[in-house]
Amino acid sequence: MRRRLSEPALGILGILPALILIGALILYPVAYAVWLSLLDKHSFFPTERWVGLGNYLAIARDVEFWESLWRGVVYAASTTALQLGLGVAAALVLHRSFHGRAAVRALVLFPYMIPTIVAVIVWRWLLNETYGLVDDTLLRWRLIREPIVWLGVDHIMSSLVAMSVWQFTPFVIVTVLARLQTIPPELHEAARVDGAGGWARFRHITLPQIRAVLFVVILLRGIWMFTKFDTVWLWGEGAGAGREIKTLPIYAYMRTFTYYQAGFGAALAVIMFLMLMAATAVYFRLFWREESAA
Amino acid sequence: MTRLRARAGRVLLYAAALALAAQAVLPLLWMLSTSLKPPREVFATPPTLIPGAPTLENFARLVSDTAFLTYFRNSVAVAGLTVLLTIVVGAAGAYSLTRFAFPGREAVAKLILCTYMFAPIMIVIPIYILARRLGLVDTHTALVLSYSSFCLPFALWLLRAFFQSIPVELEEAARVDGAGRPRAVLYVVAPLALPGLIATAIFTFTLAWNDYIFTRILIASDELKTLPVGVQDLFAAAVVDWGLVMAAGMLITIPALAFFMAVQRHLVAGWGSGGLKG
Repeated sequence: MRRRLSEPALGILGILPALILIGALILYPVAYAVWLSLLDKHSFFPTERWVGLGNYLAIARDVEFWESLWRGVVYAASTTALQLGLGVAAALVLHRSFHGRAAVRALVLFPYMIPTIVAVIVWRWLLNETYGLVDDTLLRWRLIREPIVWLGVDHIMSSLVAMSVWQFTPFVIVTVLARLQTIPPELHEAARVDGAGGWARFRHITLPQIRAVLFVVILLRGIWMFTKFDTVWLWGEGAGAGREIKTLPIYAYMRTFTYYQAGFGAALAVIMFLMLMAATAVYFRLFWREESAA
Repeated sequence: MTRLRARAGRVLLYAAALALAAQAVLPLLWMLSTSLKPPREVFATPPTLIPGAPTLENFARLVSDTAFLTYFRNSVAVAGLTVLLTIVVGAAGAYSLTRFAFPGREAVAKLILCTYMFAPIMIVIPIYILARRLGLVDTHTALVLSYSSFCLPFALWLLRAFFQSIPVELEEAARVDGAGRPRAVLYVVAPLALPGLIATAIFTFTLAWNDYIFTRILIASDELKTLPVGVQDLFAAAVVDWGLVMAAGMLITIPALAFFMAVQRHLVAGWGSGGLKG
């Protein structure tokens, strides 16, 4: 007779491959990044030297770090706020009933589903200062006298913010819309009978109901925008004014792969992570309520 | 008076809905339009919205003059293998988490949620150095393993929710009737969990198909590049050939959107359980 494995053994056997992969390629790299951040290590050559907290001390005195931190905070805060405002407004529209609603609900997700490289090339083509559709239209409508150089020093951050909001707002729309659909319609009916206007109903019925979802959405979007690499990197590539949008993830990447300072780059990544943890803790303290769990 | 207000409200509602659809779709239609224009017309002022003389010339040049087909094949292979590996490992793991009691089961579930906090930029630098040490730099293996690990936490989370919703009694009934566990899983559990498996496949496929950073860092040879990096190199040329770049953009977008449209209903189910990141 075949020997049978016990239930716990089978269970552990089943989860083991997943744990090995996650352990080897997520948890171990994170631990290794912490170790790397204590070394002065070249990205390609096997030279390494123990420097203790040297990298962190250097970062604290590094002007480029503070600049990229500030830019990253501006980028994350502005894109998250805009995504939230526009996303909730769009979700409220898509929650109403109208002809073709299913189609519009599917279409608004497109910007989120396409590869970042496509979103970037499409918008860089639309905003091209010589042949772009946007400048051409603005000129023709006489809203501007000269073409706006969207990827120039003055406007590259605003154009990046606009393009990022276009790309990522659908996440907010879908999440909020899903929650709106679970609000019992009777609540609104009752309020309407009591004579509450549109704004009052939003403020006192809808908002408390979607509060918990907004709590999570703001947290996730904030974290993801603060650590966003590909959109920012591709927006600045070859644009000349790219350093104007050098956020923290870009700076960590450049230190590692342009200056070959793997230790310094890893220290930047660790700092980024610690700051996120701290911000998350503060955020929970300020805004978490028991009913948010619902 | 109230009827007038109600009608104005309807008009506003339709205007808002139209604006929402337009902002999402018009940029992509402009990409389509440019990709169908001959080079002269691409730079015409004023720009023409509908190509005067539509041509597939840009697509033909993309196939004949660039390594686009190679990138495409690489993307299909890498995304396909990632989906396969993630589904197999994720389904086995999620099934174990829901069906077997073992020590540390709850801790494992929490740990998975924590890994959600790590962004690619934080782990890609150490992964690169580790991959170099293991001789895995510049291989598709490194990409498939990285993507799978990155997708696994949410695959486990999502599939766990699906397996939890399938009554254990169904499986037990099949086993009482003489089916072994493998057959019970294959014929009873798998069909019921299909929406979850499909949703997982879509998330995984989209992540691997769209990813830029892992390929940029782990792949050096041109013949191993996937689409996003390959197309960025086309775009980084001194004089950008916009017709060509837009044609490439169209061809990367179509599979991504086709998958999305095909399984939209499953997607919304998964979205609710927090299955998307990025």
